[in-house]
Amino acid sequence: MTLVRAAEIRKKVDWGSLAPLRLRARAVAEGVYAGMHRSARRGAGVEFGGYREYTPGDDLRWLDRRSLMRHDRLLVREFETETDRALRLVVDASASMAYRGSRAPGAKLAWSALVAAALGRISLASGDPVGLAFVGGAAAARAVPASGGREQFERLVGALEAIEPGGDARVDREVIDRTLEPLVRAARRGTIVVVLSDLIDLPEGAEERIAALASRGRVLVVLQVLDPDEVDFPFEGNVRLRAMEGEHVVETDADTARARYIDAMEALRERWSDIVTKRGGRFLRAKTSEDAVAVVREVVEAVR
Amino acid sequence: MSFVTTLALAVALLVAVPYLAHRLRRRRAEERAFAPSRLVAPSPPTARRRSKLEDRALFATRALAIVALAVLGASPLVRCSRLSLQRSGGASVAIALVFDDSMSMRAEVGGKSRFARAQAGARELLASAREGDAVAVVLAGAPARVVLAATTDLGAARAAVDAIEQTDRATDLDGAIALARGLVATLPQIDRRVVVLSDLADGTPEAAPLGEGSAMPVWIALPELRVPASDCGIVAADRSGARVRVEIACGRGVTPNGRDVTIIDAKGATLVKEAAPATEHPEMWLAVPSDAPDDLVARLSPGDAIAADDVAPVVLEAGPAAIAVVGDTAGETAATGGAPIVEQALAALKLDVAVRPVPDVFDRAEDNRPFVGMILDDPPGLTPEQRRAIGSFFESGGVVLLALGPRAAAAPLGASLEPIVTRPISWSATNAKGGDPASAIGALAESAQSLDDLGAKHRAKLEPEDIAALDVMAKWSDGAPLVARRSVARGEAWIVTLPFAVDASDLTLRPAFLALLEGWIAAARERTAPRRSEVGGAWAFPGAQSVTIEGPTGPVATTRDGALLRASTDLVGRYRVNVDGRTEVRVAAPAAREIDVRPRAAAPTTGGSALGDDHAAVDVSSSIALLLLVILTVEMGLRLWTGRADTAVAAE
Repeated sequence: MTLVRAAEIRKKVDWGSLAPLRLRARAVAEGVYAGMHRSARRGAGVEFGGYREYTPGDDLRWLDRRSLMRHDRLLVREFETETDRALRLVVDASASMAYRGSRAPGAKLAWSALVAAALGRISLASGDPVGLAFVGGAAAARAVPASGGREQFERLVGALEAIEPGGDARVDREVIDRTLEPLVRAARRGTIVVVLSDLIDLPEGAEERIAALASRGRVLVVLQVLDPDEVDFPFEGNVRLRAMEGEHVVETDADTARARYIDAMEALRERWSDIVTKRGGRFLRAKTSEDAVAVVREVVEAVR
Repeated sequence: MSFVTTLALAVALLVAVPYLAHRLRRRRAEERAFAPSRLVAPSPPTARRRSKLEDRALFATRALAIVALAVLGASPLVRCSRLSLQRSGGASVAIALVFDDSMSMRAEVGGKSRFARAQAGARELLASAREGDAVAVVLAGAPARVVLAATTDLGAARAAVDAIEQTDRATDLDGAIALARGLVATLPQIDRRVVVLSDLADGTPEAAPLGEGSAMPVWIALPELRVPASDCGIVAADRSGARVRVEIACGRGVTPNGRDVTIIDAKGATLVKEAAPATEHPEMWLAVPSDAPDDLVARLSPGDAIAADDVAPVVLEAGPAAIAVVGDTAGETAATGGAPIVEQALAALKLDVAVRPVPDVFDRAEDNRPFVGMILDDPPGLTPEQRRAIGSFFESGGVVLLALGPRAAAAPLGASLEPIVTRPISWSATNAKGGDPASAIGALAESAQSLDDLGAKHRAKLEPEDIAALDVMAKWSDGAPLVARRSVARGEAWIVTLPFAVDASDLTLRPAFLALLEGWIAAARERTAPRRSEVGGAWAFPGAQSVTIEGPTGPVATTRDGALLRASTDLVGRYRVNVDGRTEVRVAAPAAREIDVRPRAAAPTTGGSALGDDHAAVDVSSSIALLLLVILTVEMGLRLWTGRADTAVAAE
């Protein structure tokens, strides 16, 4: 097993076989069915959607004058239109996301960036605006305001490729708020919020604050991204493990500690899943060794 | 130390290798990044702990194996602290071991007795002997005696050394060295030497250095034994009625100050206890109950360097051996201006004998019983009553020293000197020019030279029939007997053909006279055996058919010298002697001189490293190889056990 030093990991993202992100994201997006969601709302639009009886209060601009004149009936013309279902991507760029085990194609942050870019491309292809925000990350990490268009994909990819992991979410307790508050203010009803994070070393109360994104008609999907090593704890013998955020070091006998670790990780998943589900969101878990296409498709299915 | 040896020993530095390997194996696990490490519980590092325990055992065995390999490579050049013989040119040597088994060797040095150290030293010396070496063993406990004549059978020598037991005898180093020298003097080995294993405490610390002037090299090994010790001991404990006389002897400058003398009965009950006087040679009188049992023991407590002499059985109605002296007291006193010359000589010899001048030979046999010997200085014959009493005295093993002079030659009618001399004697002038030193034997041999110019104008002349019955010990220069002896019944008579009066001859002024008295008293003690005698002395049982002796530690063997049964004592204590059905109790007491545990000086030549060494180059390769084999076996066992333990853990 290749040993990875924490100090090196914190400097840059180990893209592994996931680079270049732009091409990989396109390939993933093309593998997923695009434009799978249509507007559920009827109202002002460009495509005729039929007639309905006039009810007081309806906008008189949509009153069908021909029907009134020919049939003396007050009918209102309705038009179908694809709703503005903006996609807000929240990518965890804290230091722990830089971890890459020996069985993963790249770091968790790289793999999350791939999924996020693919989701963005799919959404942009559907005409929906896509925004991007980071939790943590180096100072250079910059959020991408929600917008549509071909150039938005380039901006997304550029921001994802430029991201450098960093920050200790446990120490910087406001890192969640700094990311989520602008998003809450800007995301209107129907906005899809996809959070990609390992959910590790987040400050207390992060579950509640992230789950709260599912309120006000927003659709929340929390995708827990884990390295395969973090799932099955494959170490052997006496190991000395250092957390990637903070100075926590634990020395243990891996064979003895494995079962308890897996239980703890499962408890973490269940806690997040319960909280997110109760708020109406969806909780998913993915390993970085999994096929990104399948994971993106699963996310897309989750928001339908 | 050669380069090869140094190189081999340098291999021992490799002992650090398993240690370093052990440290590398046991180092802390390399730190690795792991994001969810806070979810990992710090479990007890059982694997590391197990490896630590097992590795320690493995490390110890492997380090031992490497050290053993290094020593094996350096052997046989490894030097051990043990006695060994040095030999010039690798030739065979002849050694006479003088082994001190005297009482002073009971003192401890380095936590064990000097005797045990000497015995170990003798074994070490024999271990360094090779085929072709000759070994003789002599014991220095007085009297010196040969344990093993010179032999090349090293197994017999080892057996002889192993069989040596500690005794309470006095020390006779000079005699033992002389014996040892004689044992190897004629051996074909060119390199001959005497090896002394002794503390040199023979009671004569001011005597000439041991080994000085010896023609044969004398090596006094084990210098660590020559340590002075303070000791006091009870040399006599005699009971007379309700009083017990206790005589204590101490070394020079040592007193029993602060110690107590206790009289204890057979059941261990204390009858009387008194503090010992603070003098070097105190004598105490202690009162015991009149109905006290006979088996009493005197004890000096608390203990000191030698415990064996702190306890002495109390002898009932005993005292120093008594010698009756019958002489012309008035005449000799007038001539010497003091006590008769014989009494003065006996006092000078300090032989622990009580000299009792008697005016005439006793007529009754019971009057002779208190005496072990009787000196008759020119008696004017013996009356029939006196002859019967003397005959009874001989029957009981008495010894008589008869000096013949003019009065003996002029015995009145009816008086004779029977049963000592059966024929009349004559007192006549002599032209003999002194004695013949070459004819002297026995006790007179050493000082016979002083008889060379013996001056006497007259001498007693014996009839040929009497001369034929005598065992001549010294002769005049013309061949006539000067000193002779003969056995009479169970006793013995010594005859001198000169009186002891100084106006008759100068015999009493010569060293040979003192030697004569000393030898005669020794014979008297040997034959009559007072109830208390010095340990190591021989008891003779003339005429006895059956003798059994029960000593302090068991039966004592007797030896038969012709028709004479003899026994000797090795330990102080009480002996029950059964002679032809008659039981008597005798006590062997320590020699006062042996209690002085000060070492005698040794000549500078006796410590030469050319004779032997305290450090030997011993070939221990076979032992080390065996040890290495054991270590490797243990190491394999440990590895096997470790493997099984790991398998069991994995199975769990």
